[in-house]
Amino acid sequence: MQLVCLGLNHETAPVEVRERFALSDSALDRETKSLVSYEHIEEGVVLSTCNRTEYYAVLNGGRGVEQLESWICEQRGYQGSREGIFYSYVARAAAEHLCRVASGMNSMVLGETEIFGQVKQAYKRALEGGATKTILNQLFQRAFGVGKKVRTQTSIQEGATSVAGASVELAEKVFGNLEGSSVLVIGAGEMSRQTAQALQSRGAASVIVTNRSYDKAVELASEIGGRAVHFEGWEEELAQLDVVIAATGAPHFVVKAHHIEAVRRKRKFRPLIMVDIAVPRDIDPEVGQIEEVYLYDIDTLQERADEARKRRQEQLKLCEEIIREEINKARLPAVND
Amino acid sequence: MGMGIGWVVIATALAAAGCVFGVLVARAEKQGGNAFFWMLGAFGAQLMALGWRGELRGQCPLGDLGEVCLFLAWSLTLFYLVTGSTYRLSLLGVFTAPVVVILQVVSLVPGAFKSGVDKAVSVDPWREAHAALSVLSYGALGLAAVAGVMFFILDYRLKSHKIGGGLMQGMPSVSRLVTSMARIAVLGWVILTMGIGAGLLMVSGVFNLHLMVATITWVLYAVVLGVYYVRGLPGRQLAIGLTSLFVFSLLIFAKL
Repeated sequence: MQLVCLGLNHETAPVEVRERFALSDSALDRETKSLVSYEHIEEGVVLSTCNRTEYYAVLNGGRGVEQLESWICEQRGYQGSREGIFYSYVARAAAEHLCRVASGMNSMVLGETEIFGQVKQAYKRALEGGATKTILNQLFQRAFGVGKKVRTQTSIQEGATSVAGASVELAEKVFGNLEGSSVLVIGAGEMSRQTAQALQSRGAASVIVTNRSYDKAVELASEIGGRAVHFEGWEEELAQLDVVIAATGAPHFVVKAHHIEAVRRKRKFRPLIMVDIAVPRDIDPEVGQIEEVYLYDIDTLQERADEARKRRQEQLKLCEEIIREEINKARLPAVND
Repeated sequence: MGMGIGWVVIATALAAAGCVFGVLVARAEKQGGNAFFWMLGAFGAQLMALGWRGELRGQCPLGDLGEVCLFLAWSLTLFYLVTGSTYRLSLLGVFTAPVVVILQVVSLVPGAFKSGVDKAVSVDPWREAHAALSVLSYGALGLAAVAGVMFFILDYRLKSHKIGGGLMQGMPSVSRLVTSMARIAVLGWVILTMGIGAGLLMVSGVFNLHLMVATITWVLYAVVLGVYYVRGLPGRQLAIGLTSLFVFSLLIFAKL
């Protein structure tokens, strides 16, 4: 019996190749079933996310990885170059790779947590479809244990690694939690959407969107469940806000100190966090001189995200040690044999 | 003095250990109880020391500099232990411990605790209540000032974008710190009100310099807290108000 992992991800394959191999939810069960009905394959699990497609299989004879690769390409109708597109791992290396994937160590955003759920889901579906037996059952159970251990015993998932995440972190440093807080988003672009959604995911209760083009404000507001206001009217909203996100393409400052000064008394001098993710900047730096205002620009946020990424990178060695130790302890069939 | 002064030394050592341990934990970017258990130990030792002085005097031990400092340190520790966990301000202990250490070191200066004190034959309960409640209130007001110092550090680091590091990891949010600062000050102010009320009922009458200074302090705190709750005040101004008022009143009382 030979345990193998064959796959492709964001590091080995460009998006146009990855999308050929990506499997929709409905196709995943079919693919798993086909995999285990193929000759010489005893067990199988197929994992497909936006950045990777991986096949975990237990082979019994045949031409091994090479045969599996040909089968996969045939299944997906892929006739392009295979050079450097696929990676493969056998026995212990395959088990260690699965543990890295489940721990988020192999993800595009190092330490991200979503992959853990995706691996669990892929395994569950294979299990329900009868595609797994002793070897993969034990391997995946162990990988989930390792994934949890890596996350709890290291700092692999600490700190925000995106500008949107860093904005949320700063807002939480000022307000504690964002439950019930009000957010104004000036500008209706992608960065505005990402940041507003990140704030909402942490409990922001109301999101107001304003944009020079009112239609775009309405579009974004309806997408995220917020409220759109005309660009001429955003200043009236200031008194009730806790967070202001500015991300317009304006060549001059949109928010100036006098806008805030005008509502300070009305706000009872409550803290206000202002995040300027536009270049050129939207918020006059003088706004940051107002006592209760905490102003951050894109450079600060980027710096925070870079620092978090660096800290996560530093944890990799520790994570590898945990994986090695856990695999040694596990005595998995087809891995430690 | 013997074991009595020994309790003050133990309380000082425990508070100092709490400070050092808390800083080390904060620097290591770990969350946890920080100085809490050290301060709890210090609190126990302070109680023993106050018991020793109270026994000697046969009344509330507030008769000399050593006793006032020790009582104030005890009160500060008490309010930290109660409010620190209530408002989940784990790092507050790290900031409170040095103040407790300073107060207790002052009390340990030779001569601060008078020796050969006479045991009181009779006591005026209102005078006792006035002195005890007033010093107790200064514990809470002192803690509000400590929270104010924490606010200055947090505010400075957030404003200057120095957001990383273990200290920031353990810091509460701006909103929580401002709210806690105001609530602790209100608690101190309420106790001070009771202390002044008791002072007005003293047998020796109301024309007492201590009582007058306490009343002026009470009015000033009422103004700062009134402005904060009614009109609103930026966190920094509230912190300036509470820390400067505490230092001011401490200096005035030291002169009296």
